[in-house]
Amino acid sequence: MTPASRAYIVRRIVLLPFLLVGLSIVVFALIHLAPGDPALAFISEQAMDPELVEQVRRNLGLDKPLPVQYAVWASHVIRLDFGTAYTFNRTPVIDLVRERLGVTVQLQGLALLVALALAIPIGVISAQRRYSLFDHTTTVGVLLGLALPNFWIALLLQLLFAVKLGWLPAFGSGADAHGLQKVAHYVMPVTVLATTVLPIFVRFMRSSMLDVISQDYVRTARAKGLPERAVIYGHALRNALIPMVTVVGNQLAGLLSGSVIVEYIFGWPGLGSLAYESILRRDYPVILALTLLAGSFILIVNVLVDIVYALIDPRISFD
Amino acid sequence: MAETAATPALGIDRLSRPPESQLRLAWRSFRRNRLAVAGGVVLLLLYVVALFAPVLAPYDYRAFNPGQPLKPPSAQHWMGTDRQTRDVFSRVLVGSRVSLAVGFAAVSLIMLIGITLGAVAGYLGGIVDNVIMRLTDIMLAIPLLFLLIAAAALFTPGIRTTVIVIGFTSWMTTARLVRGEFLRLKALDYVLAARALGASTPRIMARHLLPNALPAIIVQATLWLSYAILLESSLSFLGLGVQPPTPSWGNMLADGRVDMRMGWWVAVFPGMAIFVTVLAFNLVGDGLRDAFDPWRRER
Repeated sequence: MTPASRAYIVRRIVLLPFLLVGLSIVVFALIHLAPGDPALAFISEQAMDPELVEQVRRNLGLDKPLPVQYAVWASHVIRLDFGTAYTFNRTPVIDLVRERLGVTVQLQGLALLVALALAIPIGVISAQRRYSLFDHTTTVGVLLGLALPNFWIALLLQLLFAVKLGWLPAFGSGADAHGLQKVAHYVMPVTVLATTVLPIFVRFMRSSMLDVISQDYVRTARAKGLPERAVIYGHALRNALIPMVTVVGNQLAGLLSGSVIVEYIFGWPGLGSLAYESILRRDYPVILALTLLAGSFILIVNVLVDIVYALIDPRISFD
Repeated sequence: MAETAATPALGIDRLSRPPESQLRLAWRSFRRNRLAVAGGVVLLLLYVVALFAPVLAPYDYRAFNPGQPLKPPSAQHWMGTDRQTRDVFSRVLVGSRVSLAVGFAAVSLIMLIGITLGAVAGYLGGIVDNVIMRLTDIMLAIPLLFLLIAAAALFTPGIRTTVIVIGFTSWMTTARLVRGEFLRLKALDYVLAARALGASTPRIMARHLLPNALPAIIVQATLWLSYAILLESSLSFLGLGVQPPTPSWGNMLADGRVDMRMGWWVAVFPGMAIFVTVLAFNLVGDGLRDAFDPWRRER
C-alpha cells in the first residue's frame, strides 16, 4: 500500500463514526418530521381518550424536546437497544430484527452469488469475442435488463411458474418444506433479486475485461506463446476482477432496496417485508432501527470495500 | 461517413471554416446513433399519447362496463378489463400522463436540489463542501427504497407527496456530479479572468460554470427520468404513491397482482408500459452521454 492510500484508508476509518452519528441524526430527524402522531399509532384502535393519549406520550418520552428525545434514543441505540415495537405484540425491536435477518441475508447472499456466477463468464466471453453475436446479444440483454422493473418481473414469474404452470410455489419461504420443495421456494425471489444487479455486473465486467485485454502485459503473455485460455484466465481475468469489488459494494444498497419489493411480493418474512409492514403500521421504533441498521451496514461495507481494494491492487492510490 | 469523406484530407480547409458549436456536434453524433434516435421517437410518441390520452382512449378510464369484470383482451377491449370492469387500455393511456408528469416533476426537483447543493459545495469548497458531501454520503448509504417508503409514509399519499419524496431522496448523485464539474471548471483560466474582471460569485456560478456543466447535467437528468418513473411505480405498487382511482402504471400493477389468478392482462400491460418508457429514456440518455463526450464521439 502506498503511503497516500494508507492515509486515505485511515481517514475513511476515522470518519466512519462521525458518519454513523450523522446517519442517526438524519434518520431520527426524518421520522420526527412526521405530522402523524406516534402516540396515536401506539394506542391504535383503543378509545381516543385525550388523557390516555397524553399519558402514552409521556410514557414514550414524546413530550420532551427533540434533542432530548434524540439523546435518550441514541444512548440506547449504542447498546443495540431499539426499544419495543409499538405493534408486533410489543416485541423488542432487536428481537424482531434478529428473527428476520436470516431470511434476508440468505436471499441477498444467494442473489449476489447467482448474479456474479453469471455475470463474470458472460462479461469475459463478451469482451473476448467483441462484436460477435454473443457480444451483441449481451449488450441488448443488458439494455433490456436495466429497464425491467423488478416488481414486474416478479409478477410475470409468479404468473407463469406458479399460476399457469404450477411448478413453483407462489408464496412463502417454505419454512416447513424440505429438500427440493424448499429449494423451489427460493427460485423466484433469488432470480428477481439477481436480475436487478445482473445487467450492471455484466456491463462492468465486460468493460473491465476489455480494458485489461488491451494492456501491454496481456500482449506480452500472448507474444510469449501462452495459450489463449491461460492468457484470459491466468492473467487478464484476475486483474479485471479487481474493480468489480467496488461495483459489488455499490450495488448492495440497491439489492437491499430490492428486498422490500421481493419479500413483499413473495411473502418472505425478512427485513424488507418488516420495513414495509412497520411503515404501514407507523411503527416508528422499527422504522428507525431498520433504516439506521441498513445505512450503517452500507457505510461500513463501503469502508471495507475501499480497504480491500487498496490491499489487492497496490497500484491504486487515493488522492 | 459521407461527411468525413467530403472533407479534404488537409487540415487547412477545416481551419478556415468557423468552428462548429458543441451542441451541433453533439446533435450530429446523436442523430447517427440509431438506438438513441429510436428511443427518442418512442418518447415523442409517448408524450403525444399522454397529451391526447383522453381523446385517444376508447373508453372513459373511470367508466364501468357492467357485467364484464376481468374480460381477456378482445376487439372491444384491447387490453381486457379489470376487476371493476374498467377498460385496461384506456387506463394505461391515461396512466401515462400520471407517470410521465410525476417523473418530470420529480426530476425537476432532483435537479433543483442536486445542482444547488453540488454547485455550492464545488465552488465554495472548504467546510461547506465537507458538510454537504458527508450528508450526501449518509443519504446514499440508506437503501433508497427504505428511505423512500419511510418518507412516503410520513405524509398523506398522493401525486404531490410522491414527487416531493422522490425529489428529496434522490438528489445525491446529481449533487456529486455537479460538484465534480464545478471543481474541475473553477480551476480553469477563464474563470480566473472573469473574477479578475470583477464578476460576482453568483454570476460566475450561473453564467460561467453552469452552462459548461450543462451537458453532464442533461445526461444525468435524462437517466433520472427513467429512475423516477421506476421509483414512482414502485411506490404506487406498494400503495404508498399515486392513489386510486387516479390510474398510474404502478398502482394498476398492484391491482394486477391481486387478480393475477383471474386475468394476466391486468398485470402484464401496465408493466410493459413502464418497461418501454424506461428503456426509451435509457437509450436517449446513453446516446446523449456518448454525443456530449468528445472522446466517444465518432468522427
